[in-house]
Amino acid sequence: MSSAVFKRSPMYHYFISGLHVSSELELRGAIPREPRGETDDVSIRRGSVPLALDGATATGPTWDLAGDIFLLRVPRLIRFRIEAGRDIVFETEPGFADCDAAGFVLGTAFGILLHQRGSLVLHGSAVAKDGRSIAICGYSGAGKSTLAAALCGDGCSFVADDICVVGLDGRQRPMILPDGRHLKLWKESIDHLGLAERRGRAVRESFAKYYVDPPDPHAQPSPLSAVYVLREARPSLKEGVERLSLPDAMRTLDHEAYRPRFRAKLQPRPQTMAHVAAVLSRAKVFRLVRPRGFEHLQDTVAAVQAHWDSLG
Amino acid sequence: MMSEPAKIIWLASFPKSGNTWFRILLANLAAGEAGPSDINDLYEQGGSACNRWEFESLTMLDSALLSYDEIDCLRPLVYEAMTAEAVGQRWVKVHDAYTITPSGEPLFGRGLSCAAVYVVRDPRDVAVSLAFHHSTTLDAAVRLVNSPDGVYCESRDGQDRQLRQRLAGWSGHVTSWLDQTEVPVHVVRYEDLLAAPARHFAAALKFAARPATEAEIERAVRFADFAELQRQENEKGFMERISRTTPFFRSGRAEGWREMLSAEQVAAIERCNGAVMARLGYGLETTCRRTA
Repeated sequence: MSSAVFKRSPMYHYFISGLHVSSELELRGAIPREPRGETDDVSIRRGSVPLALDGATATGPTWDLAGDIFLLRVPRLIRFRIEAGRDIVFETEPGFADCDAAGFVLGTAFGILLHQRGSLVLHGSAVAKDGRSIAICGYSGAGKSTLAAALCGDGCSFVADDICVVGLDGRQRPMILPDGRHLKLWKESIDHLGLAERRGRAVRESFAKYYVDPPDPHAQPSPLSAVYVLREARPSLKEGVERLSLPDAMRTLDHEAYRPRFRAKLQPRPQTMAHVAAVLSRAKVFRLVRPRGFEHLQDTVAAVQAHWDSLG
Repeated sequence: MMSEPAKIIWLASFPKSGNTWFRILLANLAAGEAGPSDINDLYEQGGSACNRWEFESLTMLDSALLSYDEIDCLRPLVYEAMTAEAVGQRWVKVHDAYTITPSGEPLFGRGLSCAAVYVVRDPRDVAVSLAFHHSTTLDAAVRLVNSPDGVYCESRDGQDRQLRQRLAGWSGHVTSWLDQTEVPVHVVRYEDLLAAPARHFAAALKFAARPATEAEIERAVRFADFAELQRQENEKGFMERISRTTPFFRSGRAEGWREMLSAEQVAAIERCNGAVMARLGYGLETTCRRTA
């Protein structure tokens, strides 16, 4: 017997955004599953990752792209080689703890992998009620996760956080796939929402953002009713919910994609547009302008609930 | 004047020093006869160096998983990518001091096709403007002007929409930009721009090798007149306004501090910044001040 058998890491199993995942790395932030008896869709393992890709057709400050291989460098922390929507190989730099690696795996690495598989991946959170779901998009720090958590405190169930995959079912209906992950919330949101008891580990040691066990995770894909794009009210931008015209909605879904630059480089435009068109034939896109600040959060929750109900 | 137009012009200033007004002048120059340009359309004109969305979009990384220092270490690479991507010349708003990252690189990169227009304003007026903008006390604003450790958008328990920016205090900010040797700098005093906008706007454009006729510059200045900006803000608001009570385009005057700051506040600013104020031609009050 080779010694490799004895050195093999234990495998962890997850079900993330509709994919069966086996991982050598414990993914804190993902909800563990029992292993299934067949090959998984995605494998995450430790290995050697080069500093750069030979023959890269596109490069960025922290990444190289060559065909269906994507190399991601987080200087002094970790590198990833993500291939064909199937394999994620990671190599940590000395001194970078495995437990801190999970956030990068579940974030960018998995988001890129989903794009490689041709999924429509929104940068947003999602909740469900009465068998239907909504996605909440917006820039980083806009309050997507906080609003999703607040909606979960008001009768909704949790579907996805940060990475929100919109698939199509057999009848071409847009469906949000549960991401099988925990919510990620900053300390100020946890304190305000009274979720301290559900608070798990920090996303990175000594960071004030934590995994939060969702109270009622939604296990099944659910039809997407609407996408709300969060914007902050300003004197020049009045509060309210406004439906976007079809061209604006198409542009918005493009803009609100998870790492839109990568999607633009990877997928041929017509395929992307066809998927977006199928989504928009059933789901409406709204701009939700609301005042920022915890003191307004419950009003925003009430406004979203009322608006969602009015969609029928 | 530069031989080749730089791809990126960092429009750098300590906060509340006229950066927005300068961007409005640029927007109106771009708008031409179609002006006056909409004051709420400035982002489209060139963006900001601390934009979290652009940082994440270019690096593909979740900035919430990175420390402030780790983000700073990546910023030179991000600006390299921005420079490579720039179509034509891009003027980018900056409030960061010109600093060296923990990995030893200049924050704004090395050897890039960049130049800087640095807008500087009397720190006593800056303090007053800061207090109104952030709805803080004048003392708190004076502290930010005086603090070598002063920062924007640093939060321990949450995340700001912008990346953390080291301001380094007014003096530290001014000298960081003026004394670095990596990026060519043209200095514009806010007070000069106020007194003779066309002349000083034209000089900055010439430095940046941004072509513009005298007539185009005069039209842009007319469209960016303070009364016009106040009219637009009054009519439809301004997206960069934070205060609920005070308009963004509040006064715009020079030496407004004389009516607002106490003798102690003036003395505190001059004590911390006197040498650099003198270098920039701002007369000190402390030595010849009449006691109240």
